[in-house]
Amino acid sequence: MKDLLKVLQTWEAVIGLEVHTELTTLNTKMFCSCPVEFGAEPNTLICPVCLGLPGALPVPNKAAIESIILAGIATNCDIEQQTMFYRKNYFYPDISSNFQITQGPVAFCMRGWLDLNITEPAASEREYREGTTELPASYASSGYTTRINITRIHMEEDAGKLVHIGGTDGRITGADYSLVDYNRCSTPLIELVTEPDLRTPEEARLFLQSLRQIWLTLGISDCSMEEGSLRCDGNVSLRKRGAKELGTKTELKNMNSFKNLHDGLAYEICRQADVLESGGRVVQETRHWEPASKHTVSMRLKETADDYRYFPEPNLAPYDLSDEFVAEVRSRLPELPDEQRARFMEVYALSFIDASALASDRDVASFFDEGMAFAAAQAQELAKPFTNLLLNDVLASLNTSGHVLAETKLTPAHLVELAQLIAKDTLSSKQGKEVFAHMLKTGEAPAQIVEKEGMQQVSDTAALEQIALEILKEFPDKAAEYRSGKTGLLGFFVGKAMAATKGQGNPKLINETFIRLLDGE
Amino acid sequence: MSYSNLSIAAIRAGLATRQFSAEELVQDALNTINIRDKVIHAFIELCPELAYRAAEKLDAALSAGEAPPLLAGATIGYKDNMNLEGTHTTCASKMLENYKSPFTATCVTKTLEAGALPLGKLNMDEFAFGSSTETSYFGCTHNPWDLERVPGGSSGGSAAAVAAGMVTVALGSDTGGSIRQPASFCGVVGFKPTYGVISRYGVVGFGSSLDQAGVFGRSVANVAETIDAMSGKDPLDCMSQDAHAVYSSSVGAGVKGMRIGIVRSYVDADGISPEIHNALEDAISKLESLGAVITEVELPNAKAALSAYHVIGPCEAFSNLSRFDGIRYGYLSPNARNLDELYEQSRAQGFGAEARRRIMLGSYLLSSGIYEQYYLPAQKVRTLITQDYHQVFEQVDALLTPTTARTAFKFGEIADPVSMYLSDIFTIPINIAGNGGMSLPVGLGEESGLPVSVQVIGPQFKDENIFRVAAALEACYPDIARIAPDTSGTQQASQAGGSAQDSQVGGSGQSSPQGESAQASPEGGAA
Repeated sequence: MKDLLKVLQTWEAVIGLEVHTELTTLNTKMFCSCPVEFGAEPNTLICPVCLGLPGALPVPNKAAIESIILAGIATNCDIEQQTMFYRKNYFYPDISSNFQITQGPVAFCMRGWLDLNITEPAASEREYREGTTELPASYASSGYTTRINITRIHMEEDAGKLVHIGGTDGRITGADYSLVDYNRCSTPLIELVTEPDLRTPEEARLFLQSLRQIWLTLGISDCSMEEGSLRCDGNVSLRKRGAKELGTKTELKNMNSFKNLHDGLAYEICRQADVLESGGRVVQETRHWEPASKHTVSMRLKETADDYRYFPEPNLAPYDLSDEFVAEVRSRLPELPDEQRARFMEVYALSFIDASALASDRDVASFFDEGMAFAAAQAQELAKPFTNLLLNDVLASLNTSGHVLAETKLTPAHLVELAQLIAKDTLSSKQGKEVFAHMLKTGEAPAQIVEKEGMQQVSDTAALEQIALEILKEFPDKAAEYRSGKTGLLGFFVGKAMAATKGQGNPKLINETFIRLLDGE
Repeated sequence: MSYSNLSIAAIRAGLATRQFSAEELVQDALNTINIRDKVIHAFIELCPELAYRAAEKLDAALSAGEAPPLLAGATIGYKDNMNLEGTHTTCASKMLENYKSPFTATCVTKTLEAGALPLGKLNMDEFAFGSSTETSYFGCTHNPWDLERVPGGSSGGSAAAVAAGMVTVALGSDTGGSIRQPASFCGVVGFKPTYGVISRYGVVGFGSSLDQAGVFGRSVANVAETIDAMSGKDPLDCMSQDAHAVYSSSVGAGVKGMRIGIVRSYVDADGISPEIHNALEDAISKLESLGAVITEVELPNAKAALSAYHVIGPCEAFSNLSRFDGIRYGYLSPNARNLDELYEQSRAQGFGAEARRRIMLGSYLLSSGIYEQYYLPAQKVRTLITQDYHQVFEQVDALLTPTTARTAFKFGEIADPVSMYLSDIFTIPINIAGNGGMSLPVGLGEESGLPVSVQVIGPQFKDENIFRVAAALEACYPDIARIAPDTSGTQQASQAGGSAQDSQVGGSGQSSPQGESAQASPEGGAA
């Protein structure tokens, strides 16, 4: 099979996503007061309503409606104040009433968009950039911006979970029997559908990542792809570059990580290209991504569309949301990742890469903001060293320990102090790392550590010159060699000086001193 | 001594003055049921333990000096689509033959909290699909006035139980006339409030946008007090609302100055029986003589109600009944080899013919391409009909119409489903519009000897108007019998009577100790 970049030179991939998000941060389910929880004993979080028992009636969760309105506002959607719930009828054991309460033609949120900034190397997947804009020079990275339109976001309830016993890998094929766990049944779910505006697997991945960051910022879900609270299906078809007509699409499922989303789509694009280039035709079907063997397999043919017999849910009155209600929800909108990144670039003159990295994690971003608040008047000056500490040392330590920021003993105030000590040359960067290691371990303030460990950097020029002169006196032949052109010996002298200061000499100053003493006369 | 002819108010007073205990009321009612239900077959299930437990609790409270609550000591039966923990909820279907609900319907709970004594669950058409109670999986219920005739339906068991004096009141549900039509056939008061007055939580849904629970009683006052106990916003049914009315206080308020509308084309409709036509004319003149202003009004779109109903009803029913698949509860076919067979066989074997017919109809009507041709136009028609009623109720305070075109028919007399559907032509438009309506008995037909009734309809959430008109009319007919005579000893039951001719006949059936048929006044002091 050809590789993706090659395929994309001949073919244009047309990709749309359907993203399901469980509103896991809500206390209760969509239409009853059962708790929303992951990992409880099977069939313990159930009641007559979510079990669909005869006579039980749904009562909508107001907080869920608020969440979807917030999600719509954050993704630039029009909020439809007059909308209603529909029933989607189909028989399957995981849906207790054999219909799912969802929405019809008019969802709470319609016609939104997100702008994606794709930087190299990810940008290289899209060699042909019709309809995109080059990134501004200020972004310090080449790439492009493209707008992805959102068709709609609608509210619905999740289904339960089937557990297949006796087969391989928990799959239904070959299983002896299946059990149903209704704990998840009627968990509030929002489904976002994009227009087929994505052109590369990287764009798809970035879209989903951006969306996840937005949802996390809004606090509407824990967005765990592993636990299934964020799920993404992809629709993909190919057409020859320049062609207008859409090709036959396949629907791709089981892409339960960002990497799987990218790799699944990439595989499917290449597979379709293979089929088309060998004279075949793509069959409209649902395919399952198998991450272990890195290929997609057909789940079922979709020759005819399923008839879900949609009709308005007669147990729930249509909505007519008031302007006040929508305005109240709008007033709760926090600063979104894109706005945050722009602010970091503008206020602190950070690079696009640094600002994006900070804004990509809610905890990191608020740690940064708290740090800048402590830095106060020095914020402009300390932003860059503080960001370096945060994005390099702090994140590296988190990667190693597997902790999240809140679980460490670090505080924004202490990290600002450390950045300050380094910026003022009180500590060398090497000493800085040692102090940082102490901070992680003890949670003590940098100044306290420096004092206790006697780690002040020696930046006293006179003292350093005295030491340098003594060393030159000790090694006159080396000094002569240096002067005759063997300038590589500078490192030798600096090393001696560092040893003499027990590692606390300011290396920059020592360097300068030796150069001055050796070259000067 | 029998208490079966006592009004709720009289029972309350009797309990308060310790003339009898709640326990005695239960004993008496079970005794009456034991005698009469052998041939009528109104009950699917009796719950004497629950009844005695409720009586014990009530007696204890009264002994402790508490005042009797609103429905204290009223014996009550529930249509078998209403959940009552501790009993089955079968919906008269094989599908739910063994189903016990883990929770109790709000309307049932409210009657129990008000001191009613639960006697059991009442027969009905399967899943409320029918107008005769002939589609019940558990056999027919017989009309207490003529055992060869149907009690009407779908709440036939509820109507018959009240007409036979086996309970003080009974609850039913009404999707297209399922309270008012059987009330009319059995000669009792049957009331369906405005959609939303009574919570539907725990009442098994048929057509969710049409279903409304209501009450059967032998007097307007009994019905009013029961509704007072049950009505109000329920957080578990978001379509329910507070009507902010005390219906029993409207009983006896009179009709002087009230504007009452009649639809001439209804009163003079082709196919309306002369008995019913005459009863309506008589009721009109009586109301006029009481000071009401009679106004002729038009409901131009009402004729389309039947068509809209037979689209919307099956669509909602199809979806509501999807949950019955045998997987979690209910009938499970033993022979299925895979999931599709499990669905197909369990549902084919668990549902009766009429249920299958409506499910298939709804399934067809909602399929893509068809939905646009039927469901959407039906909803538009519904809007027009609702507007008709809104306009009419700008001109009048209540409407007086027939409940049914004719009196109770015989078993098997209407075999064609479409003719059966037509028997609800005067009741269905009210469900389509969402208003309240009451069937009120005005006597026995001179020729047929069967109960003849009229229907009073009110503006939405102004059901107190209905009570005013109905109570005034009721007072005009003081001599009508409230309890059908016990014929269990003299007349052979055509179907359910097999075991009825045993010792019971000599024991008490013959003597008919209560002599209800001779009872000469509407029940109780409240009327």
